Amino acid sequence: MISIVTELIALAAFTSAAVFGTAGIIGLYRFPDPYARMQASSLCGTTAVFSVFLGSLALAPSWAVATRLVVLMAFFLVSGPTGGHIVARFAWNSGIDPWRPVSPVIRPARRRFGGGKVERAKDSPLPPESGID
Amino acid sequence: MRAARAWRVIRFGITSIALYAVWLLFTASLDAFSLITGAVGSVAIGALTHDVFIAEHEASYRSFMPNPFLLVAFLVFLIYSMYLSSIQMLVALVRGHASPRVVHFRTRLKSDLARMVLSNAITFTPGTITLDLDDDHLTVHWFLATTRHSRAAGEIVKGRFEGYLRRVWS
Repeated sequence: MISIVTELIALAAFTSAAVFGTAGIIGLYRFPDPYARMQASSLCGTTAVFSVFLGSLALAPSWAVATRLVVLMAFFLVSGPTGGHIVARFAWNSGIDPWRPVSPVIRPARRRFGGGKVERAKDSPLPPESGID
Repeated sequence: MRAARAWRVIRFGITSIALYAVWLLFTASLDAFSLITGAVGSVAIGALTHDVFIAEHEASYRSFMPNPFLLVAFLVFLIYSMYLSSIQMLVALVRGHASPRVVHFRTRLKSDLARMVLSNAITFTPGTITLDLDDDHLTVHWFLATTRHSRAAGEIVKGRFEGYLRRVWS
């Protein structure tokens, strides 16, 4: 019974890994500039590999293996974003201009991370280019 | 000079013990050969790299030793926000909607390690990548920007991470 539950958990984790990995690769081709490509591929890639680790953790045969997996996850949490940061930093230092879509779309849901302090009119597009950046 | 030397010895000790703990965890054997090899390797690598592992100016216990329970809580929150932002990235990918923008802001964190973890967490989560971390000044590429006000951008991007990290590494 328990084995079925752990296998279902592992299945869900591996499925999400496949979905996020595919999304990362699509993002790599879909966006026009290095920063946006790094966003998609590093974030979705990290999540995909992390999901694989979670699935393997559910299937781990012993506590010794599980402990090592947890240590691997900790190392990966450090190394995954650092890799993306290094590529993005190289692009930034070599003066590549970030891509600006013609009509950027505001997503009010992002206020979730601001704790509700910053308010902004819903669906108002960003002001046009003013050169103040 | 004596204080500097004592601090160097302490850093060397902490680095070697941390390396040896990881060695024991990964080998998971209690053979004499394995134990001795690990000890020699830990001491040698600790002697070479303690300056990198704990910088000389981090002369406060709380600036490199995390509060373990809060660290675990922070990691759980980090993983939760990682999945959340991956799903948001997935939606943005499918719909092709984005408003990428480079924002600058500062952090209140004092410890180098905490700043590093903050920039790492920012690279994970709300569709952002840390481009540069210079002392307390962060340059961030924000994929789903909602504002161009730099302080407001800092509050949104840092989110709750900064508050948590201030308690993990005070």
